[in-house]
Amino acid sequence: MKSKKANRTIGKVIIYVMLILLALIMLVPFVWMISASLKFNKDVFVIPFEWIPKAPRWQNYVDIWTKIPLAKFTLNTAKLTIIVTCLQLLTSSFAAYAFAKLEFKGRDLLFLAYVATIAVPWQVYMVPQFMFMRGLGLADTHLAIIILQAFSAFGVFLMRQFYEGIPDSLCEAARIDGMTEYGIYAKIMIPLSKPALSTLIIFTFVNTWNDFLGPLIYLTTESKKTLQIGLKMFISQYSAEYGLIMAASVLSLIPVFIVFISLQKYFVAGITTGAVKG
Amino acid sequence: MAAELTAMEKNMKRRARRRNLVAYSFIAPNFIGFAVFTLGPIVLALLMSFAEWDGSNAMKFVGLQNFVNIFKDDRFIASLKNTIVYSIFTVPITLAMALGLAILLNQKIKGRDFFRTVAFFPYVASLVAVAAVWNMLFTPAKGGIVNQILMNVFHAAPLKWAASSSTVMLTIIMFSVWKNMGYYMVIYLAGLQGISEDLYEAAALDGASSMQKFIHITIPQLRPTTFFVTIMLTINCFKVYDIVYMLAGGSNGVVNKSAMVLVFYIYEEAFRNWKLGQASASALVLFAIVLVVTIIQFRGEKNYAND
Amino acid sequence: MKKRILSSILAMAMVVASITACGSAAETAPAAEPAADTQAEAPAAEAPAAEAATDTAASDEPVNLKWALWDVSSTVYYQPLIDAYTAAHPNVSIEMVDLGSTDYSTVLGTQLSGSGSDFDVVTIKDVPGYVSLVNKGVLEPLNDRIAADGVDLSLYNGVTDQVTIDGNLYELPFRSDIWVLFYNKDIFDAAGVDYPTNDMTWEEYDKLARSVTDTTPGAEVYGSHYHTWRSTIQLDGILDGKHTIVDGDYEFTKPYYEMVLNQQKDGVCMDYATLKTQGLHYSAAFAQGNVATMNMGSWFIATLIQKIKDGEYTDCTNWGIVKYPHADGVEPGSTLSTITALAVPTSAPNKDAAWDFVKFVSGAEGAEVMASTGNIPAMTNDKIVDLIASMDGFPTDDASKEALVTSHTYLEMPANDKSSEIETVLNEQHDLIMNEETSVDDAIAAMNEGVQAVLAQ
Repeated sequence: MKSKKANRTIGKVIIYVMLILLALIMLVPFVWMISASLKFNKDVFVIPFEWIPKAPRWQNYVDIWTKIPLAKFTLNTAKLTIIVTCLQLLTSSFAAYAFAKLEFKGRDLLFLAYVATIAVPWQVYMVPQFMFMRGLGLADTHLAIIILQAFSAFGVFLMRQFYEGIPDSLCEAARIDGMTEYGIYAKIMIPLSKPALSTLIIFTFVNTWNDFLGPLIYLTTESKKTLQIGLKMFISQYSAEYGLIMAASVLSLIPVFIVFISLQKYFVAGITTGAVKG
Repeated sequence: MAAELTAMEKNMKRRARRRNLVAYSFIAPNFIGFAVFTLGPIVLALLMSFAEWDGSNAMKFVGLQNFVNIFKDDRFIASLKNTIVYSIFTVPITLAMALGLAILLNQKIKGRDFFRTVAFFPYVASLVAVAAVWNMLFTPAKGGIVNQILMNVFHAAPLKWAASSSTVMLTIIMFSVWKNMGYYMVIYLAGLQGISEDLYEAAALDGASSMQKFIHITIPQLRPTTFFVTIMLTINCFKVYDIVYMLAGGSNGVVNKSAMVLVFYIYEEAFRNWKLGQASASALVLFAIVLVVTIIQFRGEKNYAND
Repeated sequence: MKKRILSSILAMAMVVASITACGSAAETAPAAEPAADTQAEAPAAEAPAAEAATDTAASDEPVNLKWALWDVSSTVYYQPLIDAYTAAHPNVSIEMVDLGSTDYSTVLGTQLSGSGSDFDVVTIKDVPGYVSLVNKGVLEPLNDRIAADGVDLSLYNGVTDQVTIDGNLYELPFRSDIWVLFYNKDIFDAAGVDYPTNDMTWEEYDKLARSVTDTTPGAEVYGSHYHTWRSTIQLDGILDGKHTIVDGDYEFTKPYYEMVLNQQKDGVCMDYATLKTQGLHYSAAFAQGNVATMNMGSWFIATLIQKIKDGEYTDCTNWGIVKYPHADGVEPGSTLSTITALAVPTSAPNKDAAWDFVKFVSGAEGAEVMASTGNIPAMTNDKIVDLIASMDGFPTDDASKEALVTSHTYLEMPANDKSSEIETVLNEQHDLIMNEETSVDDAIAAMNEGVQAVLAQ
């Protein structure tokens, strides 16, 4: 009995040592970012790297707001990200329900088409897509970015897989009770898929927040541009201001972390399917 | 004809149609947007692989010429080979690491939220920063940390990592696993929340060991998640681009044949040479490979579900 | 026939999409401004019809020109150029559209695809980008306009000949950068070695670089610095005027590669592999104060002056420039150049007004504006050199001023149908040589074979 307890303690210690090591490895880039954000550009890539800058340049955190319209860019990005995430969440989870729990003609083929399109690199259809969007008068609009991001196949695929994990018997029982499919979706599926929905929110948020090439191609008016385009503005033809880029990058990570951490509470203990059954 | 149908058959048909309609109503909001703005352009782009087009001049139908061209181009062959090698190693390693991390971080331990956030970090961090740190560790110079360990602990010769044709893919694979495992960990974490506690409790009553529980409950229950992770990992590996550009391209952006990957080739053909047809043909090859992998997986999943 | 099928599919898809899009646009995205967008689209669609009627260059009707460019916030001459032009043409307003510098050619190429673009003037960043746009047929040939307006191309020192394609010129350069040798005077002073001069052969340069080198670990001084670009080494070979970089025979690059590889081995310059993976920018390398000489384009002058003024660069404040080293028996002042040019897209809504602006910026008046901001215009003369050399922060020694005068300039990449494919071959072998993965001879053989294959296509 005693040795079992000791074993468990040793196991715990090993786990913690592993985790702390892991955390260190994962956090080094973050420390690098902060350290670089407090330097002159000329010193950022110099080796040996100075982890704690002797003369930290806090001015970088001031300059990023004045050298480019960063506040406006952040606002644009926030607007796009929120709209896209909401749309993506609604339409994906809705469509995924049909793919996972309903029988209908052409289901597997349609689903395969969804998944397969993810495999086509955007670079290939970027030009025809752009010409098409411009034909609709959507070039240089936020609407274009929203449309491009909001109906991705990724969300449908992700949600479908999580719904697959929910026993069919739950739906059958509800159907016998006379619940409509819409009712089952809203009252059973949604509450049970909180971890999956959280995952989708995190991924969509991160993706839209960090999207670069899409906004770059579509948005040409200064006042419509986004954060990631702004970051690249510090890289000009003849010089690159990595001190400033890192300062802005550090700040741009804050919303991502807020979203990630605040959704953590949905990643807890297994769902109690029993409770729903009963 | 219609009159010959019995009332029951009619009823069944009506019900089937109703069922289809309900299903379509679920799909429609996403599908319409998807079909018009993504699927349409994709189909067009894939059709383009049989044409010669520079984005402006008239499109010219050339049959299979683009495919002949790319398979004669040793840069394409090299990029296809590198992409496959990269995927073969990266997919299983990342999958295993992500699952391991997720299980580790699904336990009731102190600071769990912190560790989860930290593991996700390299995925969201600026690629420049992550690559800079990586290059500090794996610098081709003898003074680099990893080379020092190689020389002093293992008494091996120092390696040139990303700067050498023989180790550049290895470097990219390791980097990729490190950067992306947190992402797939999140998916697995979500999947783990979907497994009912009841199953574990029942197994515990039967006296199952942790290992048995893992093999007989966790793994099978995670099947849909693993399906998703495998497909997405495969697709993302086949579409790898920016980390290759970052690690192998370095300060002059020159990626040579030893590290060329498909999307890099596609990008070059499309936007440097403006051979959009040839770019599309290469993409169609990529598409075909991924489709085959997906269908095999899909079959496997179906069979399992029917068991 | 097949093409017609494809385009009709495209057209059909567009019709279907525009119907569905209107519906979903209205309900899904309240935050965007669909009304404003459709308004914006209308004039663009009518542009071709309207174009014939508008001959705005001479008239006083208000015209708005859209100018595609990059780095608006960090480029000092855009606004002065616009101000100078609009002062003389009050009816014209010019709108700058920043497409970013990193992916400029990709974005511009995409924007100009099809015929729906509404740019009037586009900046051309490099020669491969220029050639691909010409091949796409989206740039207006300028020959007739040049002839009609009597533009004297001889003032461009022959550069326009190097970008003439099949007898047609599609761009007019307004900025030209030449390569020079930057050096840090403090290092030479400390080593008690004479400064580089405007008349050095490559051997003298090599000797000089070695004489100031210090390989003491932790206190290294590098006699020379080569940025990781192919241009810094490979192109030294074309300066004797006997070869070009699109020849298909690269034997002439051998002495230069051997010189640099030996320097690399002896610690005279930093190691290519490390420089490449570390991502150190040449400006940062020079700013560390332990690089004695560095061959680089004249664009670096403006950066140096600015950064020293800002107080960021403290270890290279005492700098100078001299002419590029030269091969035996070649006149000093032969150097590489790159040009930045303006062009008018075939889809431009206001072609005549656009051409007038291009002519102004690339002409004598534009050149003075360029020089007054410390940048070398494509059209240069003694007055221009004086203007640049008198800039605050430019080295005061006579040699530095003299260094700006060239005898022959060779474009880093002349206009060639295959320039981007040739570049790919050359870049790859450059990388292999510098990483010491292949011998110079093998790499040259591979270059010859690769480029000849490209040329034969």
